[in-house]
Amino acid sequence: MTEDIDEIYRRASALDSSRPSETLRRKVLDHAAALTAAPPRPAAPRARWRPAVFGTLAAAALAGLLIMPRVFNPHPPSESAQTLPQTPPPEAAAKSRAIAPADEPAADASRTGASGPKAAAQPGAAPQLGAAAATESARAASRPADRSATLRSAAETGDVRQLRALLGAQVRIDAPDARGRTALMLAALRGQAESVDLLLAQGADPNAADANGTTPLQAALAADQPAIVAALRRAGAR
Amino acid sequence: MLADDSDEALIGRYARGDAAAFELLYRRHEMRVWRYLQRNLRNAATADELMQEVWFAVARDAARYLPSARFTTWLFTIAHNRMVDSIRASRRHSNFESLGHDSDEVIRHLTADPSAGPVAAAVARDEAAALIRAVEELPREQREAFLLQVEGDLDVEEIARITGSSFETTKSRLRYARTKLRELLKEYA
Repeated sequence: MTEDIDEIYRRASALDSSRPSETLRRKVLDHAAALTAAPPRPAAPRARWRPAVFGTLAAAALAGLLIMPRVFNPHPPSESAQTLPQTPPPEAAAKSRAIAPADEPAADASRTGASGPKAAAQPGAAPQLGAAAATESARAASRPADRSATLRSAAETGDVRQLRALLGAQVRIDAPDARGRTALMLAALRGQAESVDLLLAQGADPNAADANGTTPLQAALAADQPAIVAALRRAGAR
Repeated sequence: MLADDSDEALIGRYARGDAAAFELLYRRHEMRVWRYLQRNLRNAATADELMQEVWFAVARDAARYLPSARFTTWLFTIAHNRMVDSIRASRRHSNFESLGHDSDEVIRHLTADPSAGPVAAAVARDEAAALIRAVEELPREQREAFLLQVEGDLDVEEIARITGSSFETTKSRLRYARTKLRELLKEYA
């Protein structure tokens, strides 16, 4: 009997050609698009500018270190070419750059979904620093903090190949991001069933809740992912 | 593919800056939210205003949405709260019941449907118009519970939480609403 009324109501609604105005739709969608263009999003408002400030200061310090010896070098160029290298070797440059908060670009990359090497490429960096930057980028991926961020990113995007590679290395499988979300939680949220299976098989905690107390199981239920829900329950998720 | 994404995935994408995800979400739920507002308020202009407020709030608070609740529950909670605020504000100035009654307007839209054959369409239109009118004539609490269920696709527990009522009260409201609609339709027949 419930269905009859609901069915008639739905039929009535289907026949009802009244709808909100196109102007209203345009206004809402424009507003939503404008909000995405605005630089700061409500979540983690302070964490965004800090890496930029530290990064800029570190880059300026490094540039100063590289340029100053050339400006004040008393030797003629030919002599200096024989006694001193024109640019520091990649390793030295990498060491100088290590004073910068090295894990920040990778952390930012995990928020935006950019990959590690892409995020490490700084626009405006001197060309001769390219090799050093590449070395640094490669090293960044090997740091524990960066590996955790890359692991979460791979889990979230369903990049199973990278996920396998990272799980083979030493990585904290349940390392959370700033909002307390583990790789498993992100995979469950985004419906990445293969990532979830892989993480669970490697011992990820199925009950690791985020900062708001949401568990991977709740996230999967909310995201309407029955396969992931089943996998989590099999692994003892509550 | 974006179109296959769940509501929860889409709002997550939007929170990370994907405006196309919001547009898809809006188009998916546009009519349901609008009908919920329009049939509760019985005034298209006010429904339009609130519709804008609801979706502005969704866009603004997308980053704060927690997937522990379904997106539709969150969406209709916002719509309910905005509507209650609007009713309270209108009561300060006038009686809510004087907000307007657009049944005739709705019926005019219904009769403008060109897709059905002439006789069948006329019967369907009459029945549909009678039901829309009957929904609008329900007591406010019953009408809202009924619309939250049929438009929001929410269960009794979710409706109880949104409207701040007990599970049993909500269940009774839904039962009374359907009984009344059935009677009104019988009268019509």
